Amino acid sequence: MIEVERLTKRFGSTLAVDNLSFSVAPGTITGFLGPNGAGKSTTLRSILGLVHPNAGSTAVLGKPYRELERPLERVGAVLETSDAHPGRSGRNQLRVLAAAAGLPRSRVDEVLALVELTGAARRRVKGYSLGMRQRLGLAAALLGDPEVLVLDEPANGLDPQGIRWLRDLLRSFARDGRTVLVSSHVLAEVAQTVDEVVIIHRGRLVRHATMAEVEAMAAGFARVRSPEAERLASLLTQAGFESRSFGDGTLAVAAAPEQVGELAAAHGIVLHELAVERATLEEVFLELTGAEVG
Amino acid sequence: MSTLVGSEFLKLRTTRGWIGYVLALVILSGIGAAAQVGTALEFERDSPEFRLDLLSSSVTAGLIAFLVGITSVTVEFRHGTITRTLLVTPRRERVVVAKELAGFLLGAALAVLAIAVVLAVAIPYLSAEGAAFELDSGVAARIGRLVLAAALWGALGVAVGALLQKQTVALVVAILWIFLGEALIGALLGLADLEDVADFLPGQALGALDGSVEDRFSPALGGALALAWVTVLGALGYLRVRRRDIT
Repeated sequence: MIEVERLTKRFGSTLAVDNLSFSVAPGTITGFLGPNGAGKSTTLRSILGLVHPNAGSTAVLGKPYRELERPLERVGAVLETSDAHPGRSGRNQLRVLAAAAGLPRSRVDEVLALVELTGAARRRVKGYSLGMRQRLGLAAALLGDPEVLVLDEPANGLDPQGIRWLRDLLRSFARDGRTVLVSSHVLAEVAQTVDEVVIIHRGRLVRHATMAEVEAMAAGFARVRSPEAERLASLLTQAGFESRSFGDGTLAVAAAPEQVGELAAAHGIVLHELAVERATLEEVFLELTGAEVG
Repeated sequence: MSTLVGSEFLKLRTTRGWIGYVLALVILSGIGAAAQVGTALEFERDSPEFRLDLLSSSVTAGLIAFLVGITSVTVEFRHGTITRTLLVTPRRERVVVAKELAGFLLGAALAVLAIAVVLAVAIPYLSAEGAAFELDSGVAARIGRLVLAAALWGALGVAVGALLQKQTVALVVAILWIFLGEALIGALLGLADLEDVADFLPGQALGALDGSVEDRFSPALGGALALAWVTVLGALGYLRVRRRDIT
């Protein structure tokens, strides 16, 4: 549906995207994650034919974006808030796009209603709040009733209700079998919406995983402290549990505390402490993106 | 392509700038025509030359078409609307051609408007002064040349806008070029005994077409030269637009 193949893009001496490959399956919502400056926007703009890669290729719906016929009816995109003329009304902004795409003018009022912007439609964009601009951008993206949505940080500027509204919108969009690629620098923001995540850092792929896998990474571990930590560690290994020693008699074990406790009791090992450590999604995200830094 | 040209006109119409341009054109053309009639001597007013001079009060249309043509491109880069434009029409050559056509048509429309204003002011004024304005073939030919020249000015503006892209730079360069640049280059070429070369410059060529400049080129040759400038600068502008990363 969306394919990125060995994409590389340099701006001057800055390597923005470095040999990046991933693909987005049809009918899924994929989160495109990375810290600010990771190369997310450059990648999305390459997918949409706005940025010329130095190497590699991208395709949407099987073709480079530039070769799509009537692209607005295939792919919708929200890239940034500053793509509207401040002196033009929101409605006229959309009318211009509809005219260029050969779409009926009635469609403009439909999408304005869909993003709940009808009341402000005839006001100039200059007076819009950031959230209203984001809604206008979404309206532009939805104008052609596309099969694929590409959104760059669409939650920026939205209030909590707005974020929930966006989440519902994307879900209903994906329920129809359509595809969404949505970028964010905050995993938690998209965690409840996405099926998969593509995490990049410094222009490189860090991880492409399902949300279930990411949640498993955050599921945590059992922290156990024992005077016989080394014996416990080898018993845990034999039982098939991974563990890591911190050297002070503390182990981190990838197992439930019940399993650790029962194993220790069966072998008569004294435990001084047994607890569950749970990582937040954000910690997982930071660990994944931080791993590349070092 | 006609839907694209239509959307270009919609872009122009849905921002407020055009009102100022049209007002300026109407006022300047009207004042120019009134001043020509008012300052002309009585025996001049019935002459064919006077009628042609009078029509030249509409040349402001070319200048305004040039500036609107430039900004029709640069404003897209300035406000980032180029992103949406290229998402709808990812083949950039189509965008540039649509803008060229829109600039051409807009220039023609502005010239028609300016000539209408000139005639609306001059004809009653002349008849009040006891002179008549005859719409003979000379006048009709001059109107055609003025309209075509303004249209080419509009298209030339689009080409310059595509080439320079930065709004302030493009407008400053364009205005300096029209009011200073060509004259300066002409003078420098004159020093080198090459003053004939200056006739090939775009402003001179368009002047030969619309009759505002006396040089050795016929209106047809001036028009052909201007079209060549539009084509060459438009192609270079397109190459710059094509290469540009829209970030």
